Amino acid sequence: MAKAVVDAMAMQRALTRITYEIIEHNKGIDDLVILGVKTRGFYLAQRIANRLKQLEGTEIPVGELDISMYRDDIEHDSKETDPKVTAENVDFSVEGKKVILVDDVLYTGRTIRAALSAIIDMGRPESINLAILVDRGHRELPIRADFVGKNIPSSQKERIRVSVEEIDGRDAVDIIHK
Amino acid sequence: MTERYLILEDGSAFKGEGFGSGATTTGQVVFNTSMTGYQQIVTNQIYHNQIIVFSQPTIGSTGITHDSYESILPTAKGMVVRDLASISKNRHRRLSLDEFLKQNNIPGISGIDTRYLIRKLRQTGTIKGSIVDVADDHAFDQLNATVLTNQQVAQVSTPKPYPNPNTGRNVVVVDFGLKNGILRQLSKRNCNVTVLPWSATAEEISNLDPDGVILSTGPGSPFDMPNSVLEMIQDIQSKMPLFAIGLGHELFALANNAEVTEMASEHHGANHPIRRIITNQVIFAAEGQGYAIDPKSVDRDQLIITHIDLINGTVQGLRHRDYPAFSVQFFPDAAPGPDDAIDIFDEFVEILDGNRE
Repeated sequence: MAKAVVDAMAMQRALTRITYEIIEHNKGIDDLVILGVKTRGFYLAQRIANRLKQLEGTEIPVGELDISMYRDDIEHDSKETDPKVTAENVDFSVEGKKVILVDDVLYTGRTIRAALSAIIDMGRPESINLAILVDRGHRELPIRADFVGKNIPSSQKERIRVSVEEIDGRDAVDIIHK
Repeated sequence: MTERYLILEDGSAFKGEGFGSGATTTGQVVFNTSMTGYQQIVTNQIYHNQIIVFSQPTIGSTGITHDSYESILPTAKGMVVRDLASISKNRHRRLSLDEFLKQNNIPGISGIDTRYLIRKLRQTGTIKGSIVDVADDHAFDQLNATVLTNQQVAQVSTPKPYPNPNTGRNVVVVDFGLKNGILRQLSKRNCNVTVLPWSATAEEISNLDPDGVILSTGPGSPFDMPNSVLEMIQDIQSKMPLFAIGLGHELFALANNAEVTEMASEHHGANHPIRRIITNQVIFAAEGQGYAIDPKSVDRDQLIITHIDLINGTVQGLRHRDYPAFSVQFFPDAAPGPDDAIDIFDEFVEILDGNRE
């Protein structure tokens, strides 16, 4: 059974607010690069970059972090093994940059930990900030998001499904009772 | 119906029929191009000291309804229409526009060639006018001698704080001539609201420990407000989320060093296309403004332009670069008008929720 908790309008607003907060927090957009975690995190990253371009007229580099053994129907944060994240497809340097890491759902924190390792393997960024569309709680690592679209306190029996227009044909966040 | 006249400062006179109050009235003559919502327009306090000409030819056909008051005591100076609707009551309340205006001592005049009059007002800009019984030299002398107050905000703002109780988010609204639509939208979003007089200081606001502050719409010129209001804004924006509307937006711009100029002809209507820059969407919203912010004067290191009017290029929305403080010139609560921009209130409460968590 699925229950919609964020509709398309609310998702647009959340991305808009995150974009303004990124500008506030970084005092502008100089040296900014955005890295999205495959698959939906990357589309959200592109949308934030498009918004920044609309406001400031500057193209911000957007890269995609690959997550290994990724399957659409399995939670990123599998209980059995930690995910592996690689930055093989990122074609720009993060050296000295302010990195905004973007993902759709923040849950145990294990994907983000792996993503942080992958970024740091690429070079030494000036800073890394985390932007998340949905924070559902249940962290297993000391990780928190700097920019949160919506906090959705959830039960571990539930699944959070983020859909994006680009691949799912709609923008929404649903809670699915397993 | 009695014969009455609308006379203008430039010496012209228009013969029509009186309705509403039979009093003689003087105000700035402005026109509104909304197709609907005459009750919300005439009860909007931005029209304090103004006589409103309606471009929509038939006015009054839906009477007066409980849902459409934008203030308790309207302070517009008059209504000018082409036709006053003969069927003018509705099933919710047996009160016609004519009776409503009589109760509130607001004169109206019908049978005016409003198309000609509005074309003329577009040329002359906003000028003084009167609704009078006889258009003789004496009436023109009286009109020319009348000095309209510039203390409009003080006259329409609440003299004392009052609550609009709810439980949930705690919001302070600073009343520069509050439009009820703002409170209606906050009520729908479970905000406990305290409305403060226009002269509220940053300390008085902070003492209420709000999650966020709204600066309301209001009548008149932002330049007639004392410097203390700008100081309040500069202080509050650095402390808590701030959302400014209409006159509030003009004051927010002044507080952040943008330039505000008086428009040649005031802009009142429910159908203005506005570009929301961040998503590059076009929305339609109701405007009611006599002043505008020059985009060239906006310091890009301090403010971001968020909305632009597609007809005249004026700044319709701003956001501070360093704080969650933003403003819109138009009426996001619609009432009347399209509700394309109503989700700005959702944006505001989502900022409050983000700050609380």
